[in-house]
Amino acid sequence: MNLQLELPGRKQSLLLPNPVMTASGTFSFGLDKGHGFNVQDLGAIVTKTVTLRPRAGNPQPRTAETPAGMLNAIGLQNPGVGALVRDIAPKWARWRVPVIVSILGATVEEYGRLAERLEGMPHISGIEVNISSPNATRGGMEFGQDPQAAAAVTAAVVRGTTLPVIVKLTPNVTDITEVARAVVDAGADALCVINTLQAMAIDAEARKPVISTVFSGLSGPAIKPVALRMVYQVASAVDVPIIGCGGIACGTDAVEFLLAGASAVQVGTATFVSPSAPIDVLNGLKAYMADHGIDDVASLVGAARV
Amino acid sequence: MKQIVATVTENARLYGNTYVTWFAAPELLRAAVPGQFLMLRVTVAEPDCRLPCDPLLPRPFSFHRLREGPDGTEWSLLYDVVGRGTQWLASRTPGDAVACWGPLGRGFSVRPTSQQLLLVAGGVGVAPLVWLAEAALADNKSVTLVLGGRSAEQIYPASQLPAEVEVIVTTEDGSLGRRGLATEDFLEHLEWCDQAFACGPNPMFQAMARVMHGNAPRRPVQVLMEEGMACGAGICYGCAVETKKGMRLVCKDGPRFDLRDIF
Repeated sequence: MNLQLELPGRKQSLLLPNPVMTASGTFSFGLDKGHGFNVQDLGAIVTKTVTLRPRAGNPQPRTAETPAGMLNAIGLQNPGVGALVRDIAPKWARWRVPVIVSILGATVEEYGRLAERLEGMPHISGIEVNISSPNATRGGMEFGQDPQAAAAVTAAVVRGTTLPVIVKLTPNVTDITEVARAVVDAGADALCVINTLQAMAIDAEARKPVISTVFSGLSGPAIKPVALRMVYQVASAVDVPIIGCGGIACGTDAVEFLLAGASAVQVGTATFVSPSAPIDVLNGLKAYMADHGIDDVASLVGAARV
Repeated sequence: MKQIVATVTENARLYGNTYVTWFAAPELLRAAVPGQFLMLRVTVAEPDCRLPCDPLLPRPFSFHRLREGPDGTEWSLLYDVVGRGTQWLASRTPGDAVACWGPLGRGFSVRPTSQQLLLVAGGVGVAPLVWLAEAALADNKSVTLVLGGRSAEQIYPASQLPAEVEVIVTTEDGSLGRRGLATEDFLEHLEWCDQAFACGPNPMFQAMARVMHGNAPRRPVQVLMEEGMACGAGICYGCAVETKKGMRLVCKDGPRFDLRDIF
């Protein structure tokens, strides 16, 4: 059974041992123990988003449960790229699983500088450009909602790195294919589809918003149909590999994203629900392939497209 | 963390709106200490996709108490029924299976030299302190437990506690024990103790910190914090609290903190 896949890059390609990754912000930096499986067995680890300087994140409450989903407004709490380079990246030295670092800047220039800081680091295999977080006061989704700004950010990152560049798109737009085309034209090697849907919850008893920042990002099984639709649409619009993300909780979910046109998938909120979710998704994908006599995972990609 | 399926052995309303549920799953305890917690699913796992959808997230609960059962050590959870998760848990019956994993976080740390322990409970915050009290008694230490609550319905029954524990009851409305706040008892017994431990709402910790900032006797005080969390594993960053040493995660860096690092 061949699970390996190559995400071809303009400067370097990203070779994944299998198509199941962790989603940014749902696996910290991959160093926590206690999830009960070997991280090295995954296709890749995508880190929590780092910014140029450390960020403390938002006040409480930061999370809320919703039907088949959750809201979060963590606010990009992270130790900053300096600490990542100095303290965290060396811990990946003996890893065989590729590590993709997620970055977010408050300005186009900051994205470029973040890419430059990661250039030449031996233990980093790719960059995921977060232009889709609904929880950044500056940067994030404001870039991802504007095709020109999204292209400018992508170009700045591509200039600053030789690593494969994945751009993570926001669903909070009228036409996701417009942004997808813009960032691919600007040099994106792959796209991650999608980040959270902007949402909110209100406490009827307290008569006020539940989350401290009022608005937040919705994730989990509730958004899977939306994510699938957007993967399908983006796959029609661009020729680069797509990484599907949004509510994936089991092997069958992963298969559905591949069939819609994704080459790989990310598991996010499901890891909060079950610590072993990423490996369970991978094992579920393998079981599906075995049951259906599929030898090469690539043969599933886009197979449901009509 | 390996998930296990724990079997409910007993489930009952103990007082007021507070329930205690016992489980047979000794493997979950491993090297657990009082103050640690577990994550527990509040829905039956679905057969096709193993994950639940609604309610989606697992819930954190402190270990309340241990006892010997026919299949090894049993553990219990003590909780107020406040939402869908606790309603679900309160309606389990013996033999029901519940998915859970643990032990998680950093529990209480009792200094070997501490002989006299002061425990302060605010409402259902008594949950982890009962195991701490029993473990301390087994270690031949003296325990004073302050039970504070708004009214009698929030007070853990003293009859459920070992006779060796000195119990002090204080309610805000005076319906049971002394009328007042647990913080006043905390100050009164601080001199006596070698080390103090507390679990309750944040305003109680703030009041305790104010006491400590005054001319109260210097004693190490550990508090067990609670914050909304999605994962319990240090990966969602939902339960971050601001401490004097920077942002910390309740699930991973806590839930036990030094009071002086928090307030």
